[in-house]
Amino acid sequence: MSRIRLSRKDKKMFLARDPKIADTMSSLVSHYQLPKATAMYKEIDHVVALARKFNDEVVKPAYKEIDLEVSKNNDYLCWDFIKKANEWGLYTLFLPKMFGGGGINMIAMYPFVEEIASVCVGLSNVIGVHYLGVATLSASWNVRLINKIFREVKKGERSGNPCLISLAITEPEAGTDVEETLLVDRARLGTFAKKVEGGYVVNGRKIFISNGHVSTWHMLICYSDKKNPSENTVMLAVKNGTRGFSFGHHEKKMGQKSCVASELIFEDCFIPDEYICIDSDDVPKNASKTRVEVIQQVIDYVVSSTRAGVAAFAVGAARGAYETALEYARTKKVGGSLLINHQWAQSMLSEMYKNVSMGRAGYMESAYANALHGMIKSLYKPYLFYVNRWLPRWYFTMISPLLGLKAVTRLFRNINFYWYPKESAQVSSGWASLVKFACTDLGIENSQMAVELMGIDGCRHDIGSEKFLRDAKLLQIYEGTNQLNRMNLFKELVGRDMPEVQIF
Amino acid sequence: MNMKSSANSISEELQAFSDLARDFAARELVQQREENDRYPFGELFTQSIKNAGVVGFFGANLPAEYGGVGMVASALAPVLENLSMADASMACIVFTNAAAIEIINQAARETDCAKIYRFIGGPDAKPVAFHSFTCLEEIDMPRADAKGIISGRLNFIALAEFARYAVIPAENPDGAISYYLVDLNDGGVAKTGPVYSLGLHACPAADLSFNKVPGTLIGNPGHGEIYFKAMQSHLSIGAAAISLGIMKGSFIEAFEYTKERFQGGRQIINWSEVRMLLANMAIEAQVGESCLASACRGNESGDNGWEYSARAAAIHIGELACRATVDGVQLLGGNGYMKDYGQEKRMRDAKQVQCLLGMAPVRKIDYIGRIIDESE
Ligand SMILES: Cc1cc2nc3c(=O)[nH]c(=O)nc-3n(C[C@H](O)[C@H](O)[C@H](O)COP(=O)(O)OP(=O)(O)OC[C@H]3O[C@@H](n4cnc5c(N)ncnc54)[C@H](O)[C@@H]3O)c2cc1C
Repeated sequence: MSRIRLSRKDKKMFLARDPKIADTMSSLVSHYQLPKATAMYKEIDHVVALARKFNDEVVKPAYKEIDLEVSKNNDYLCWDFIKKANEWGLYTLFLPKMFGGGGINMIAMYPFVEEIASVCVGLSNVIGVHYLGVATLSASWNVRLINKIFREVKKGERSGNPCLISLAITEPEAGTDVEETLLVDRARLGTFAKKVEGGYVVNGRKIFISNGHVSTWHMLICYSDKKNPSENTVMLAVKNGTRGFSFGHHEKKMGQKSCVASELIFEDCFIPDEYICIDSDDVPKNASKTRVEVIQQVIDYVVSSTRAGVAAFAVGAARGAYETALEYARTKKVGGSLLINHQWAQSMLSEMYKNVSMGRAGYMESAYANALHGMIKSLYKPYLFYVNRWLPRWYFTMISPLLGLKAVTRLFRNINFYWYPKESAQVSSGWASLVKFACTDLGIENSQMAVELMGIDGCRHDIGSEKFLRDAKLLQIYEGTNQLNRMNLFKELVGRDMPEVQIF
Repeated sequence: MNMKSSANSISEELQAFSDLARDFAARELVQQREENDRYPFGELFTQSIKNAGVVGFFGANLPAEYGGVGMVASALAPVLENLSMADASMACIVFTNAAAIEIINQAARETDCAKIYRFIGGPDAKPVAFHSFTCLEEIDMPRADAKGIISGRLNFIALAEFARYAVIPAENPDGAISYYLVDLNDGGVAKTGPVYSLGLHACPAADLSFNKVPGTLIGNPGHGEIYFKAMQSHLSIGAAAISLGIMKGSFIEAFEYTKERFQGGRQIINWSEVRMLLANMAIEAQVGESCLASACRGNESGDNGWEYSARAAAIHIGELACRATVDGVQLLGGNGYMKDYGQEKRMRDAKQVQCLLGMAPVRKIDYIGRIIDESE
């Protein structure tokens, strides 16, 4: 400690200034707030090794072929890959043990998807986007449905019939608007759920739904009132085979071809009460938060965890592009000497390495912000963390019926909606947006640099670098365009506490 | 901004040729863009290629006595730019053929190339294949013996799929490089199927291997590098024009879309963040246009040092187009990523076009190398 004395009051005053440690250094804060670091580290190094093995045995032998196959036949679905991922337990790996999952902590998911994406972003999405569905359902804190559907995913793993979950929110006329409660009331919405006896009847169309055709459950976000959608947002769980629900066309995409983007069609589709994840009736009139605030909270929970995931995909893309270019430079001769021995090429490769490393540091910071403030924060309370880690699976199966009790859902909702401080959401949501646009921009930058370094060889499908560029572009668009994410960062961290600020 | 081609700024005379390209693009390319972009490569737009020959695009820099138009490189710029606004694949076919012919034109300054011109000219002439996406520094060269018998491999030769002749470089026994005209129907030539690449699917390339294939020497032996560098300067104008055309096409589509699309209760063009993206694109297109116009003027009048502006234009506009087309996709949101719109193809094409005439960093190092050499 230095000899300059700081009074408690002084210290508090200085630390209250921006940037605050709690806003910008979640990874540091987590050292004393999260469970024992070695326990978490062990899970992370386990899944990174698992991902590398999976890459060697499953992804690398298949990814280029799948990309070509979809180029030839846009309706091709990569079921063989999905079955393999299911067999390897990848669709339950990060589900909490109390719901039948592998119980690996969510921080570990980010380096895991980076690994897969460093070979193929599309296939990484085929795994990762299932967890977008998982996150959406989880954010409703409908513990009964979470327990039911997650256990079906586990059953699908055992039976060899993959049971995946998708998220359906985007509509033909509303993309950006449905990601933000401040905009949704001005949106041109087309998918509505009408309250009827015993449930809802849904009509409308959702588009661009990743993994749509290969998922069993679809977390559908729609609206029960045209006039006031932000207050009347409904989340329904729709299962394949429900009457009135069907799949439309597969989008013809530039990249990430292995991950189908589907149209979902609802025609007088009746969804019974038991499959309502959350609707406005779930928010009591006298609650400490308004309906809109609760819905915004649900959206924030989802996107805070998934945008960090998109950032990890992007770092995977940036890394894959870098690694491909590096290998190429080691054997390619330019002007008589190896490309890797041209100083300008070394400089470009260092730049690419820097992008990957900065990106990874960024998304990990966001992952820590989620662990401290996000949807999964309760799972990082040391007692829950160790309960999840050490108690045997049969114990959770035994108590499973209790999770169906309304009181359990009420308790979780109280903790996660009504007792949840606003500042927490600002850090996790702000950081998720920050890394989402920063890393996805780096993904494009590295993919472009790889092509520049490799010249026309970088454009060849058989060499593999061009695919990173095609795949990476999507990352700037979905999970809220990078423009929307800049606005969200502004709202959450830059312009907060400034009364004169107006957004949208 | 002037969304017509830069031809206006060059000379009135070229307007007719430029308009021809625009009509051709509208008639032959726009409708079939998605179909021509498909994989596997089907019936390529054979008829369109023939028609392009009929209207004279393949003879632009071919001397008049062999059935060409005999224009300088700058005359080709508006054609390439207009074609690229619709579909850069056709522009790259025209470009590749012009690059091959330019090698011969350069050789013809030193030797009589009538025989070679006669091979490739004529009323039914097909475009000539060439390594338009690589420079000599990066090529793994085949070898030619003293009699011009060629053996070895050459990767990514554009148009080799359907051209009759190719202009190719080969290393002579003394290590020097010469150019040869080879008949791709020769039994010693083996082609891979079309290489599946990032963009420009309707301008396919193939990897070639040569097993004792007789080549006809073009120009003086060992002068390959001289011809290539001269061609590179001339065709840099073409490469710049293609990048500019793609960039303008991307801007126009983004501009129209953002006026039609509503989010947040207004046309998205009325969100200032969207305007900022559009502004960047418009400014880049404008800057590109000025660069290209200046390079064209220099080329037309033979100004001292025009090669510098041509080469700088190709490098700079190539970079601008890669950046701008990424935003061009972004402005259409999810739709921009789909083949139903032209933007994703433009983003892919722009990146591949940046490789025309060789790796961009190598061309940059070469550029400063020239300046250094001259200063000494
Ligand atoms: C391949 C793919 C997979 C996808 N997967 C899923 C999925 O699984 N589930 C799902 O629900 N959705 C999915 N999406 C949809 C995705 O989230 C949307 O595409 C995205 O939110 C953008 O919406 P949009 O496409 O309607 O673009 P728009 O909202 O129309 O945006 C067009 C442009 O306008 C800008 N813009 C719009 N509004 C504003 C504003 N208020 N201020 C400033 N700029 C603005 C945008 O930034 C963009 O540049 C997917 C999309 C794609 C392409």
